[in-house]
Amino acid sequence: MTALLESPADPSVERRRAVREAAASTLRRRKLGSQVALGVCWLFLAIAVVPLIAVVYYVILKGLPAWSVDFFTHSTTPEGVPGGGAWNAIVGTVVITVIGTAVAVPVGLLCGLFLAESQGRAASALRFTADVMTGIPSITVGIFGYIAIVRNYHYSGLAGSFAVGFIMLPVIIRAGETAFRGVPRSLNEAAMALGARRATIARKVVVPTALPGVITGVLLAVARGLGETAPLLLTIFGNQYLEWNPTKPMAALPTLIYSYSGQPYADLVQIAWGAALLLVVVVLVLSIGSRLLAAYLRKEHR
Amino acid sequence: MTTVEAPVPRQAGRGRRWSLPDKGYRGMLAVTAVVFGALAVWFLVSVTIQAEPAFSTLGFGWIFGGTWNPSHGQYGLLPFILGTLESTAIAVVLAFPIGLGTAVALAFLVPSRVRPILSTTVELLAAVPSVVYGLWGLIVLAPVFRSTVEPFLTSALGWTGLFNGPDNGPSLLLAGVILFIMILPTMVAISRDVLIVVPNEQVEGARALGATRWQVLRKVVLPGARTGILGAFTLATGRALGETVAVAMVIGNSPYIAHSLNSSAATIPSLIVNNFGESTGTELSALFGAGLVLLLIGILVNSAARWLVWSTGHEGAGVEVGR
Amino acid sequence: MYNRNVNHPKNSRRTATVVALGLAAAALLSACSSSSSTATTTTTTSPGGTLSASNAAFIAADLKAPGGSLEASGSTFVQPFFNAAFYKYTGLNQALQINYQGVGSGAGITAFENGSVPFAASDVPMAASDLAKVPASSGPVIQIPDILGGVAVAYNLPGVSARIKLDGPTLAGIFDGTIKTWNASQITALNPGVSLPSHTITPEVRADSSGTTYIFTDYLTSASPTTWTLGASKTIAWPASAVQTPKNSGVAASILSSPYSIGYVELSYAIQNKMSYAAVKNAAGNYVVPSLNTVAADADQKTSVSPTDFSIVNQPGATSYPISGYSWAILLQKQTSATTGAQVVKVLDWTTHTGGGQDLATGLDYVALPPAVQNQNRTQLLTVTGPTGQTLLTK
Repeated sequence: MTALLESPADPSVERRRAVREAAASTLRRRKLGSQVALGVCWLFLAIAVVPLIAVVYYVILKGLPAWSVDFFTHSTTPEGVPGGGAWNAIVGTVVITVIGTAVAVPVGLLCGLFLAESQGRAASALRFTADVMTGIPSITVGIFGYIAIVRNYHYSGLAGSFAVGFIMLPVIIRAGETAFRGVPRSLNEAAMALGARRATIARKVVVPTALPGVITGVLLAVARGLGETAPLLLTIFGNQYLEWNPTKPMAALPTLIYSYSGQPYADLVQIAWGAALLLVVVVLVLSIGSRLLAAYLRKEHR
Repeated sequence: MTTVEAPVPRQAGRGRRWSLPDKGYRGMLAVTAVVFGALAVWFLVSVTIQAEPAFSTLGFGWIFGGTWNPSHGQYGLLPFILGTLESTAIAVVLAFPIGLGTAVALAFLVPSRVRPILSTTVELLAAVPSVVYGLWGLIVLAPVFRSTVEPFLTSALGWTGLFNGPDNGPSLLLAGVILFIMILPTMVAISRDVLIVVPNEQVEGARALGATRWQVLRKVVLPGARTGILGAFTLATGRALGETVAVAMVIGNSPYIAHSLNSSAATIPSLIVNNFGESTGTELSALFGAGLVLLLIGILVNSAARWLVWSTGHEGAGVEVGR
Repeated sequence: MYNRNVNHPKNSRRTATVVALGLAAAALLSACSSSSSTATTTTTTSPGGTLSASNAAFIAADLKAPGGSLEASGSTFVQPFFNAAFYKYTGLNQALQINYQGVGSGAGITAFENGSVPFAASDVPMAASDLAKVPASSGPVIQIPDILGGVAVAYNLPGVSARIKLDGPTLAGIFDGTIKTWNASQITALNPGVSLPSHTITPEVRADSSGTTYIFTDYLTSASPTTWTLGASKTIAWPASAVQTPKNSGVAASILSSPYSIGYVELSYAIQNKMSYAAVKNAAGNYVVPSLNTVAADADQKTSVSPTDFSIVNQPGATSYPISGYSWAILLQKQTSATTGAQVVKVLDWTTHTGGGQDLATGLDYVALPPAVQNQNRTQLLTVTGPTGQTLLTK
């Protein structure tokens, strides 16, 4: 059959046949190799899930008893005064993180876009800088926040936002750039061929396509920002009372956890775990919410 | 995806939403890049100014001393440099394959219904505050390590000489494992996202040639996602290098060079966080100097990773996506 | 619900003071009393002085401080006490809020030196080198004890239910690494009849600079001067076998999860976490279990403390617990703002006296200041002046 179809001296046809034969003869070995390798991937997935279950279970175990109406509505009270909660810390965390995110996300994504579109030495240097910056210890960021803002101004929620934003920024830049680079060149080129401006391309092609990756990056950055303690320790000072004004010292959940988990009194320690559980749940909600948002936005663009 | 309109000359604005002209757009992006660069420079300058007194008083050699004992004028950072490198290495050696494997599983193997649930589950690990990891590590994991894991490793791998030290709980190994858990979500989530966006045509083409799923992965998808995976790896490594509070609680904070994975050690971030509040003068400057040393380590690690990817990048049949 | 030791009578100090008044003349003449007594009122045997009669008037006047808000920072050890005291103060004087944060003694001192906070708290008074950093134009610095605490030697010995007895030289040997196993001869000699395992001892110590470390090593230096060579300081060059963990809570957690370990923690942590802790030999030769009463007994032996002579470890007295120490509040003698100055002195006066903040001490596992020390505090606070030289603390 094949003798009839092939023309006598076509090297590419020869090559194709050689490939097919090689493929057929090694099929069983390759399939086995594939199954082993993929099995290993499944195993790794299982391994990844185990510590999660262990840690989150522990946090739920220790933290859920702390959840009460008081926990969510009352500010912290000292040991010996019943009815204390974490409301001032919740407010502080929300204010500080919102401000930090509101600045870090636009700047970070625009930087990521810049890096994704550029090839020059400056862009390389900036990309490298962002990479190195993700490795700066959070305590050093906190010290920098203290030197830069607190010493010239005073302890405040804004100083905390600055420090948290500083930690979030390189993560958003790099994750954003990675996502933007994932957009196939063909889409970009098609849009350019249609005469679109670069800003339009960015807005209508690159960002929507990269949106899932962007959202992952932003989510990871926000999750990190919510849970970072050291940058806040040195910048927000803390506050026993409720404070909405970010120019004043504020309380925050990570510093509450750090402080209360270090107390000898069981009820304060329990509040610390309750706050930890709250942070986990908040990120869970953000995670689910952002996925729904991404799906909705993707449908919008179809 | 986008509706195809008849080509319209750029200047005609009627009926279309206004978009920044190219120059303005590029300018805006460049401004944010400059802002970011300025921030990085501000940071570097601030830390250097604070660290300068240590260098002017003590020279440069103090960094490589083997003991940290400020009351005797010794500010050796070698134990902390080694501790940082070793704990990060353990974390990364574990997180890279396991994270990548998990990402592969999430991107290609699990049913698409289940994928969001499992992905969210892994990402939740990123939500846990670092102090909680420290506490969990100290209260839950340390006893398990002492009673089960470390004896097992010592008997199985003792010949490597890595497990010779006495084991009293907090150790390099424990810190490395806690770090691994902490950086796993970063590695998984970002890798998963880059794996998903590899163009279908390439995957299908390879399958059409008779490649097994694994071969497709190895030869087409992974090479194509290489820069993205490097990005994930970089972010994960950065987090491990800089993690402060959790490590301080589980590593034992011994200011001496650790000779075994079972022994207590210390890292530069744990050194800084433990001593910053109470130190003054030369000691404080030395801590800032330690921060600079860590920056340098970060630069070296990142350069090495880039070089590694660049030098292995010319094999593999896949065409890189996007760039 | 709250994990408190509710067996301590709240007014033991008032009772002791009233009884001591009757014996005031004789008591003041002798350095220490020799009679022992039952557990609940041991403070009467070594009277810590008598509270001045004008105390109630001052306390009432303290609650009339001007309104506003204060920030203060420093020791984490006093944070629960200060938070409780200031909360109660604001309950009684709603116009004034005080936000105290336990950022660490050193950080508090630095903030005070920079002028960021009007008063700070530190477990160890400012040393001469710290005082030198306060600008000369600011004037002298006043440091007063604000609360009393003890340091327990907590351990984790599976299978041993009896309380371990230890003395200074043995503790020195354990923590400098020379005594390596639980059944070493020095330990078994002090604990006849207790079968100790042959396991290696794991010393658990602080990784971060700490006033608790200072008090503990001050005791070791005092009780074992020839064998303890690592000094008395907030940071120690511990042997390699020691496990270092940050914060009291970290050391406590580390001890609880490490069999055959032994370490030092503030008494409140040992009590609240229901740890096993040792009976330590005091200067009188008795093995004393740390408790609020035995710490008070130790402090009562030496009430004339000052920032330059602040150590109260290893005091004489049959029931004195030797590892005890004060925590200190720091403020400027010359206040530049009459309002802030009045707030600071009145709050501190209220906090450091019976009838005010000191009443909250026992409920939180702290020990209240001896009356003599309270009187000294008031004398010091009466020297604080405002910008026009006026005395800010008034009756």
